[in-house]
Amino acid sequence: MQFEDNFTWVILLTALAFVVPACILSIRVILSAVGVRLTYKFQRAMDGYFYISTWIVGFLIFLAWPLFQSLYVSFHNVKITSSELKLTFIGWENYAEPFLEDIHFLPLFTKTVANLLSDLPIILVFSLFVSILVVQEMPGRGVFRMLLFMPVVIGSAIVIRRLFGEGVSTEAIGVSVQTLSEVVFTYLQGTIADWVLDLVNRVTLVLWRTGVQILIFVAGLHSVPITMREAAKTDGASGWQIFWRITLPMLSPVILVNVVYTIVDSFTDPFNEVLTYIQTVGLTRDFRLGYAAALGWMYFASIFLFMALALVISSRFVFYAGER
Amino acid sequence: MADSVFVIRQRTGVLGALTSRKWWELVFLRIATYIILINVCFVFLFPVIYMFSTSLKTVADLADLTVLWIPRTFFWRNYELAISGMLYWQAARNSIIISLGSGILQTVACSFVAYGFARIPFPGRDILFLLVLFTFLVPPQTIIVPLFILYRNLGFMDTYFPFLIPALFGHGLRGALFILVFRQFFRNLPYELEDAARIDGAGPFSVYWRIMLPLATPAIIVVFLFSLVWHWNDFFEPTIYLFDQNNFTLPLRLSILSAALLQMLAGQGAGDEFNEAVIMAASFLVIMPPLVIYLFTQRYFVESVDRTGLVE
Repeated sequence: MQFEDNFTWVILLTALAFVVPACILSIRVILSAVGVRLTYKFQRAMDGYFYISTWIVGFLIFLAWPLFQSLYVSFHNVKITSSELKLTFIGWENYAEPFLEDIHFLPLFTKTVANLLSDLPIILVFSLFVSILVVQEMPGRGVFRMLLFMPVVIGSAIVIRRLFGEGVSTEAIGVSVQTLSEVVFTYLQGTIADWVLDLVNRVTLVLWRTGVQILIFVAGLHSVPITMREAAKTDGASGWQIFWRITLPMLSPVILVNVVYTIVDSFTDPFNEVLTYIQTVGLTRDFRLGYAAALGWMYFASIFLFMALALVISSRFVFYAGER
Repeated sequence: MADSVFVIRQRTGVLGALTSRKWWELVFLRIATYIILINVCFVFLFPVIYMFSTSLKTVADLADLTVLWIPRTFFWRNYELAISGMLYWQAARNSIIISLGSGILQTVACSFVAYGFARIPFPGRDILFLLVLFTFLVPPQTIIVPLFILYRNLGFMDTYFPFLIPALFGHGLRGALFILVFRQFFRNLPYELEDAARIDGAGPFSVYWRIMLPLATPAIIVVFLFSLVWHWNDFFEPTIYLFDQNNFTLPLRLSILSAALLQMLAGQGAGDEFNEAVIMAASFLVIMPPLVIYLFTQRYFVESVDRTGLVE
């Protein structure tokens, strides 16, 4: 590591993280020292900005400005010369390219979305089911919970890639790929068969991504008041009815949280081929920074669209116990 | 009358807590639950067992189909090769610096910011908090190029500052999620504590530092552990910011292990020693530190959502 050339910047940035809140604090001190009478509301507002100012500065430096720059670059053609980056404005060309010329991006994108749509129900149903099982009082519950959450802790992208590159996924559920593909292709056809095989290939991988969701569901199940279920029981509801009429509606906000988490998780997942592709285009293959930025922005916009869609659809089904 | 009450009590309960079924029904349900859970856990555990068992196999054992789980001899040479091929200790030191440093900075900074969001009303708070959640949605790949240029201009390439400096500002790897965790936790604490402290003359900082932060120990532990483990496993950002192999973290070393080993063994005429078993040994060495941490602290991970009240 070399310290000489960057040392000043490290000091400056570190100081910035402390100086900005200190300034806000001192404004208040100076104003009251000068003799200005400060209202309580104003004082509290200054306190609030004192705490979050660091984050706002960080947001501007590490997120807003880079986001703006990548938007700017996405409308340009970038040429890298030895000394500088040369930008030429080309309008919407970078945004049109995936639809008109690039044969790789759209298939990868649809595949990612299709994977998400098929994985989402599996992840939700599986994690809900498992969390209902582990929420019961029984010996060994702690061990089960520990094992179920383990993949989150050791799920290093590169380790997973090494492991799942060799069919560990299908071995884990006890079928070898060959016999399975024979069976699948006898009963199903073409694209459906491909889809089923693909799913089976990824199934452990998909289940490995349920750790956080199980935790959230377990906490959600704990928060369903037992009095409600007891009341339903006294009125003669069966276990099945209690589940569908009480537990599930009470759980619906938690389900929404899990849907949102799963969408974000799979869109920013290291296995995600769209992201890998964007990286290849921009940083390794031919350094087409402008095009990579445009792809990144379109991808980001589509995540946003998905979230909005999920929220709109769910707002009709989610039940908040506090509201009337 | 007594009869009908009995019938009602018999019929209830989906979650076990409410059941008063016949004993054999209960036993059957319990056995079924265990069978399902053991199966599920097996699927979760399988890759790790596979990794460990393969890592101890010799070339002969790898090729021999009759050797399933337990290798004929425990071939520890695989681990020796993995350690020397990855320069394990050097890479582990780099990983520790990044994950420990960012973990501490992120915990402190995020709790500080989250306190402001959770407890102090100020104009624009809700919009700013939406902005926090918005940062969670931005894939790192979208902004990586401008960030790369920024850090290069600052001279941060091949240093650990691209990980540490954003952490200091409450950003960095999943910073928004940590702010959310702390905010939920702080919101559930009683307001009287703060009021009492302020009446006794505590300034805005000492309310946070001396009253609220000590109470937030469960959230601190959770955030620190998650940050530590996620930085340890992070692969994308180190590939962008670190070039010099001496600065590589463990996941980066693992990704170039094959090439490094082939080069290392080529001079010795022992090329066949390098195989899948070595890769698995190396993978196991990479996940071992977080695994050990997890074994000791799993309570905090598993109860994290409960403890921090994220669901409410």
